[in-house]
Amino acid sequence: MTPERMAWLVTRWVRFYTRDLPAPIAERRVDEIAADLHDHIAHERDRGTGERRIALALASRMVRGLAADATWRGRHAGAAAGRTAPPEVAMRNKVAYRLAVGATIMAMLFLVWLMGAVGVIGVEGDRADLMYFGVIALGFVGAAIARFRPRGMVFVLLAMAAGQALVAVAALLAGKHRSPVTSVYELLGLNGMFIVLFAGAAWLFHRATPDRPRREATKPGS
Amino acid sequence: MPRRKPGALVPLETEILEAALSMQRSGQAAFHGFGLAQTMREQSSSRSLTSHGTLYKALGRLEEFGLLTSHWEDAAAVEGRPRRRLYELTGEGVRVAAAAARPVPGRLPRAAGEPA
Repeated sequence: MTPERMAWLVTRWVRFYTRDLPAPIAERRVDEIAADLHDHIAHERDRGTGERRIALALASRMVRGLAADATWRGRHAGAAAGRTAPPEVAMRNKVAYRLAVGATIMAMLFLVWLMGAVGVIGVEGDRADLMYFGVIALGFVGAAIARFRPRGMVFVLLAMAAGQALVAVAALLAGKHRSPVTSVYELLGLNGMFIVLFAGAAWLFHRATPDRPRREATKPGS
Repeated sequence: MPRRKPGALVPLETEILEAALSMQRSGQAAFHGFGLAQTMREQSSSRSLTSHGTLYKALGRLEEFGLLTSHWEDAAAVEGRPRRRLYELTGEGVRVAAAAARPVPGRLPRAAGEPA
């Protein structure tokens, strides 16, 4: 491989990890590395270094810097997304996130325990309770898709609350409220409690979303 | 990997400052990334140049600390090659670099604006 080809690859990599960053930051990095690559190739050729050896040196410098590139990008991407909130805001976001995670886990554990111990719908072991596994699965799959980021978790928790409501409606439509051990009030009360828990956790995740303080700051008169 | 203490310089940053100081003392106040990497290689007798990612990340940090300033070189000086970003030590950078050159045992050099 020629040094120019390797320099092109390095430049492609730089363009890749600077994508979506603010233009001045991305352009500075791209231009700076371009100058470095040019100087490196010119310097080594002046010294009589072989083409393959120059290409390998360029590749080595790129590969050894991959971790630093990733952390550099993470830092600038975070700043661009407004994750450099003042300390008190960052702390409030962190507390809200932890509370949201705690509330979600507690609600899910409580739901599983109710299903197994006494049954939410009908008597213990009623197959209708299996519908709640859909709500729990929604939580796991949604969290994986959202990568536990607060903004995405808001939608996951709202979806779980909606899922819980759907299960309650399905149970009512199936006539489960006519069971001797489940009344309409019990069905609505228990499911309503979980809906409130999931919606509350969604609100906490919303509070933990980093750009929230910036919106407040731009309100007229604030 | 241990966390960086606030305001403390990591060894690479100290090495950069020392190289910059030696370049300044030899009459080259402004330097560019590749030139710096070369000087550092010579000073450390290393076979390889500092990686792109590590070098430019460290230069950015030193600039944030107020130990370096940078600007693009004049278009007239470019002569058909990509323009270089030129760095210079600030007054504080010179002070920290000089202190780093004679380190106190068991103590990391500290950046500007940080309590000693």
